[in-house]
Amino acid sequence: MASNISSGSVPHLPGMEVTELSKNTYEVYIGPAHPGSGHMRIIVEVDGDVMVRVDPDIGFVHRTMEKLAEGRDWIKNIPLFERMAILDACNITLPYVEAVERLLGTEPPDRARYLRTLLCEINRIASHLYGMGIFGVFLGHSTLYMWAFGDREVFIDLAEQMTGARLTHSYPVFGGVRRDIPDDFPENARKATKYMRNRLNEYAKIFLNNPNIRSRLENVGIMSKNLATELGIVGPNLRASGVRYDVRLNEPYEAYGDVEFEIPVFEEGDSLARAWARVEEIRQSLNIIEQAVDWLEKHPRENFMHEKFWKTAPKLYKDVFSGQIDYAGKYRVKLMPLFASLKVPPGKAFARVEAGRGEMVYYVESDGEDVPYRVRVVSPSFRNVIAFKYLMPGHRLMDLPAIYGSFDYFPPEWDR
Amino acid sequence: MPAKVALKRNPKKNPLGRVFSGNIGALAVGLKYFFDPNRITLLYPHEYIKLRQGYRGYIILIQEKCISCSSCARICPARAMKMLSVKVFDKRLKKEMVKKFPVINYNRCIFCGYCVDVCPTEALYHVPYHDLVYMNMQDMILSLEDFQKEPEDVTAKEGLPIKYIFDEKKGLVKVKYEEEKKEVVQPQQSQQQKENPQSKQVDKGGVS
Repeated sequence: MASNISSGSVPHLPGMEVTELSKNTYEVYIGPAHPGSGHMRIIVEVDGDVMVRVDPDIGFVHRTMEKLAEGRDWIKNIPLFERMAILDACNITLPYVEAVERLLGTEPPDRARYLRTLLCEINRIASHLYGMGIFGVFLGHSTLYMWAFGDREVFIDLAEQMTGARLTHSYPVFGGVRRDIPDDFPENARKATKYMRNRLNEYAKIFLNNPNIRSRLENVGIMSKNLATELGIVGPNLRASGVRYDVRLNEPYEAYGDVEFEIPVFEEGDSLARAWARVEEIRQSLNIIEQAVDWLEKHPRENFMHEKFWKTAPKLYKDVFSGQIDYAGKYRVKLMPLFASLKVPPGKAFARVEAGRGEMVYYVESDGEDVPYRVRVVSPSFRNVIAFKYLMPGHRLMDLPAIYGSFDYFPPEWDR
Repeated sequence: MPAKVALKRNPKKNPLGRVFSGNIGALAVGLKYFFDPNRITLLYPHEYIKLRQGYRGYIILIQEKCISCSSCARICPARAMKMLSVKVFDKRLKKEMVKKFPVINYNRCIFCGYCVDVCPTEALYHVPYHDLVYMNMQDMILSLEDFQKEPEDVTAKEGLPIKYIFDEKKGLVKVKYEEEKKEVVQPQQSQQQKENPQSKQVDKGGVS
């Protein structure tokens, strides 16, 4: 392909490798050590400054998650799948837990459903803020980068109070959750939501309505409704193109059928609409957090684990939960020893949730052993990455970060 | 009530003109934070976050409570915990015998806390700190004696304890950890921590 390489005239850029294909046509390799991109590479063919062919090259952080899962006990797969996207940990593991629950024939009690919903929304906000921060620094707007990462800390702190870990919560387990919220959590959560609502208005002022940013995002990377559905795009990117699809809307899971919220759908489908879709989603997530916290406060602290597991619990387990043993943390739900040697009845199950970046699908097959026969994972970023190939050609090279960042890519998730 | 779809559009032009009003708005917000910044930076070795109880930090074993059931080693997703055969003096049978006790390899541990949660006698617990340094990899494989000791919280010796509180206006605000409260509460707790296992163990010995 590259027959006449003239190395002398080609400038060397950090993180990019440039090859001259013919006169005025160059092949640019962006990544895999691209500043900000994580571990992926985009092969771009540019004609002057205009992108002609864009080829996302993935697979740099492939960890054979699906194969590893076949050799691990059922419960040990939860911390494994969490590593796909640690900033969205609850959303990523929840469908796996739901699928196994379907095989076991257990259904989480009400309190556990609300607790899961609460952590899912905290994770969604943290994940969107992370994406927006990276988007900001891509466009040279380091203020938003610092702001978003600082505000993300608020929600990570909430998650830490709830689960005991900042990122890898391993929170949902088969039949329930691992902890209840601490006593001062509702108060803190309300303060955090109130703060974040005001803050989103400031985000709009300094970033989204900022003329410098608007001119770089408006009418850039327009994805039409048809193209989005043809390519199978999911998540906020799909809703920014005007398609009314959200798993929380079409197939409510956990407590999403009981809380009131809106699904923001944007018409334009450009990079700006994708950024706005995330801001509006954060706003709705704040509503859900408030409703979930209200519900949890009103109802007594019971039913956090399926009674099938909890029925045989000795007195010590209840003492730990109520904080009688002072070296152990309060409101901890002990796991039954049977989790260590859990055998799931044979069958096939399928579950999906709306993760921060879109629809997350698990297909679990069991043959009655203590390890899964097959776990198939379809992650949202993998479905979104193909859009680069169709959206970027025709734009200038400087529009690449504006499109790339607006999709809220996350390489460890799409490589699995 | 299920979710509703809300159709939205990108914000339209401001009557004052997008460029003019947009710039003014962005500058005003920037100026506001120039004079009243919201700093959450932790000056780490000089300050440290005093984490609350319940944080999944380093794991400690209370050997007297352990019944050698191996649940922790079986549930460990990273295979960090292993059972080690040790000769111990059994108080009930009054003779020396070989029993299995868990030891941990912190090279592998992912701090998921499954072992602590699955322990049927609460013989494992978390300490609420995680910033420890080992000189080499071999030191991170703890012996049974080391696994029972609470590791030294080195940052607490020199650093200033800090905690972050939630605030409606500023999000997280860094405040000094109130030492009066904790000075009263913390030593008691740590004393209880040390006393409790022993007293429980005596009870347990009597019962079993």
